[in-house]
Amino acid sequence: MRRRGAFTPYLFLAPGLVLFALFRVYPLLEGLWLSFTNARLGRAERVFVGTANYARLFDDTRFQLSLVNTAYYTIASTVPILAVPLLLAVALNRGVALRTFLRGAFFFPFTLSVVTVGLTWLWLLDPVIGPSTYYLRAAGVPVRSWLADPATAMWAIILTTVWWVTGYYLVIYLAGLQDIPRELYEAAAIDGAGGWRSFWSITMPLLRPVFLFVLVTHVIGSFQIFGQVFVLTNGGPGDATRTVVQHLYETAFQNFFHFGSASAMAWVLFVIILAFSLLQFRLLRGHTQY
Amino acid sequence: MGRSARVWRLLITAIMVVLAIAWLLPAVWVLVTSLKLTENIVRVPPEWIPWPATLAHYGEVLFSSSRTARIGRAFLNSTVVSLGSVAVVVLTSAMAAYPLARMRFRGRDAIFALLVGSLMIPNAVVLVPQYVLVQRLGWLSTYQGLIVPEAAMTFAFGVFLLRQFFLTIPSELEDAARIDGADPWQIFTRIVLPLSQPVLGALAIFAFRSAWNDFLWPLIAVNKPDMFPLPVALALLRGAYAAESYGPIMAGAVLSALPLLIVFLVANRRIVEGVRVSALKG
Amino acid sequence: MRDATPRLTRRRFLEGAALGATTVTLGARRASAQAKPTITYWNGLTGADGKIMDELIDQFTRETGIRMEQQRIVWADLYAKLQVAVPADEGPDLALIHTVEVPHFASDGILEPMADATTSAKGFKAEDYLPSTWQGGMYQGKRYSIALDVPQHLLYISTKVLKEAGLAGADGKPKIPGTRDELLAMAKQITKGDTYGFSIGTTNPGRYTWGFHNLLWQNGANVYAADLKKSGLGEPSALEVAEFWSAIQNQHKVAPPANANCRDAFIAGKLGLWIAGSWNFTGLREAKVEFVAAPVPKIFKQATVWTMPHQFTFPKKKAVDAAKRDAAWAHIRWMSDHVAEWTLKAGQVSALRKPHSDPRITGDPVFRVLLGQAAQWQSGQPTPKWVAAENLTRPVIENVYIGQKPAAAAMGDLARQINALPD
Repeated sequence: MRRRGAFTPYLFLAPGLVLFALFRVYPLLEGLWLSFTNARLGRAERVFVGTANYARLFDDTRFQLSLVNTAYYTIASTVPILAVPLLLAVALNRGVALRTFLRGAFFFPFTLSVVTVGLTWLWLLDPVIGPSTYYLRAAGVPVRSWLADPATAMWAIILTTVWWVTGYYLVIYLAGLQDIPRELYEAAAIDGAGGWRSFWSITMPLLRPVFLFVLVTHVIGSFQIFGQVFVLTNGGPGDATRTVVQHLYETAFQNFFHFGSASAMAWVLFVIILAFSLLQFRLLRGHTQY
Repeated sequence: MGRSARVWRLLITAIMVVLAIAWLLPAVWVLVTSLKLTENIVRVPPEWIPWPATLAHYGEVLFSSSRTARIGRAFLNSTVVSLGSVAVVVLTSAMAAYPLARMRFRGRDAIFALLVGSLMIPNAVVLVPQYVLVQRLGWLSTYQGLIVPEAAMTFAFGVFLLRQFFLTIPSELEDAARIDGADPWQIFTRIVLPLSQPVLGALAIFAFRSAWNDFLWPLIAVNKPDMFPLPVALALLRGAYAAESYGPIMAGAVLSALPLLIVFLVANRRIVEGVRVSALKG
Repeated sequence: MRDATPRLTRRRFLEGAALGATTVTLGARRASAQAKPTITYWNGLTGADGKIMDELIDQFTRETGIRMEQQRIVWADLYAKLQVAVPADEGPDLALIHTVEVPHFASDGILEPMADATTSAKGFKAEDYLPSTWQGGMYQGKRYSIALDVPQHLLYISTKVLKEAGLAGADGKPKIPGTRDELLAMAKQITKGDTYGFSIGTTNPGRYTWGFHNLLWQNGANVYAADLKKSGLGEPSALEVAEFWSAIQNQHKVAPPANANCRDAFIAGKLGLWIAGSWNFTGLREAKVEFVAAPVPKIFKQATVWTMPHQFTFPKKKAVDAAKRDAAWAHIRWMSDHVAEWTLKAGQVSALRKPHSDPRITGDPVFRVLLGQAAQWQSGQPTPKWVAAENLTRPVIENVYIGQKPAAAAMGDLARQINALPD
């Protein structure tokens, strides 16, 4: 029994790790290697250039600007994207009527592809023919182009993203809320605790691993945001919403095809996200046990 | 006390319904546009009722873009790839997450850190080395060439998600089973997995959607037009120079969203009716 | 004896040639009885154009027996895929790309040069083409592509909007602006409420580099100086254009916001004068919009018209299959011979001269305008850095458009960035 026990974890891990090693680790390491070369798509020869690609990033003001934009987006979007689905999940879990319809309604946007979401909101927010512009104008609100104004463009993108992904985080939160035993709430109610109180002292602590998951996933995802920004503003106006992955994608797959440079950017991004994630883990580690 | 609770509940329901309807408006816009005649699509003031309505755009999506990318075939490809990817991801993630949550062994934390770390690298940079690898395996333009990389893309996320949930399961149940003589595999399949249906459902939805909507990988990894999945086939509807043909594009979007909606509804019942854990029961 | 060679009388020569020709024809007929190859063909003609291309390809297959396996991918993604696939020897036998992509693809070794002997043997001659389109396929003295058609700019005028603004004659025909002053005066008269007078660009007029290039060329400026090494955007002529770019939004206030969808605005009757690509007009007709086509007005020194011809090209292969290469040539030949059909159905004017006198084409008012501009056609400069420079230009001109950055500083900055592009 003992000997079998010693290998058991590895046997469980084996299938996934083989998949992971071959199709993630190997390409990732190759990407790391490429970041130290002058690799270009379309050119077979690669010359080792040491840290030249990384050094060049210090001069690449657009890369730095895109990092700032991405960080701004991540921080600004955290509260809406984390809180809105949580509140909706708590309300739905309480036991409101029409639960299936409500869940389906909030989830539906998540089934749409990023291009569809982008095109739809681009149209809705169009400053000339967009429905939102029309109704706002009818209500007497001065017309502005949310997406063409550097001050509001990122917020319009955040709004679109909240609309898009809330449904999924709602599902995750609901799954987590299901795991909290009813009896705890009943006991608290008997003790006289109201709604908010039981939320803070029962729901939040027990939801901690789920919340941590949502937070870390959101941060990782935010740092890699690309699709909807690309469709909504293409990084504009000017470079006001240009994100790191857009910069990376253009470097690798458009005009430059400088794959070595792009790989270097990706690994810099990795280090930054890693730092953020470690910080979150440490701050929220606390109770992972029941 | 009961009456105010009921009023409260009604109020919350009302707010939620209003919110849900507002939430659906952009999606309604997509649906409505797909049913309008071309000359009525771009209009100010905006018209919410598609009258006269037409199914011509759906017809165009399904039947006439048939030469270079048969949409019906693309639907099939997407279904096969997405279901295959879900199967691989759910299986491998669950099996990997369990020891990471419940067992102690050498390299446990390092492996978990590696998995979470891999989530932080944007997919774009892995694309080309992955392409070369898949080409060498002879998997370009094949189902496995799409399923396996898609599954690999979601694997680490799946492990992360499942591990967090496995951690919330009270260990008493597993301890009891161990005392009864069950081996790890039995505990895993008979206790942990059934209790995890909600989160497995959530993972299945995510993995399905990720594979269903992925555009970039299939774009370069598929060279035979009849192996294209849906997003690549639907991209053909977009005009060549941003001269959007909204009708077919929106019709394509609706058709593409339907299977995902079905998957959600199916998995959703699992999530909602998932087994409730009781600390008081054995 | 005056020469040692056997006496090759003219008669004998002609006999021999006739015999040779017959043999070749018989041989060709025999070859056509053999299986014809299937060739792969990638292009970016998505949307409505793609269906017309499908019909033409079907006709080609019926007539020649050569089957074509098409991959149609949106242009930006097509180029990314070419760059990934060709080095891995997974590229197509034939590709249709834009003129401005030829230099950088050629310089990266993605495309195969076309030998002059082959080109003329297949019947492609300079005099059959308009000079700007014939030149467009060249890079560093070698030819890499053959032009098919000429997407270009024109001025769309909304009949409804101009009528409402009082700018139409008694016969209902709207006034047509020919100079900058006329254009601005009319635009100001049109702009009120939610209706705008003038715009350049399909979507996102703020970052519409194609329109910006059009204006640059009208003023004798260009992205690069004549030596193609240093940027020409710091020149006063370029600065003038940038200031106009800013003025239409911020000073004259006749242009819509930077990210407006001009095409939709025009369709909805909210935009009066619209300079945009010729590829839009079939869609306008489908949406039943009433409009008049006019030449691009002379906003600066010349009435230059921006063009971006589609070019047929052969991506490199590790080993060239002769039969497939011949089949690809056959397709280019066939499309060129039938380009009038392409023009009539897809609305793209041909690069070849001959169809320009086809009465079906000259009978259409839009085609008349497009053909009339032929003498003013200009295309991008043949430098591999053109596309990269264009990508740098977008955010800068958008900042100028929204008034975020003054024109002079922006152009200077852009010139510096372009000069810093690595080779």
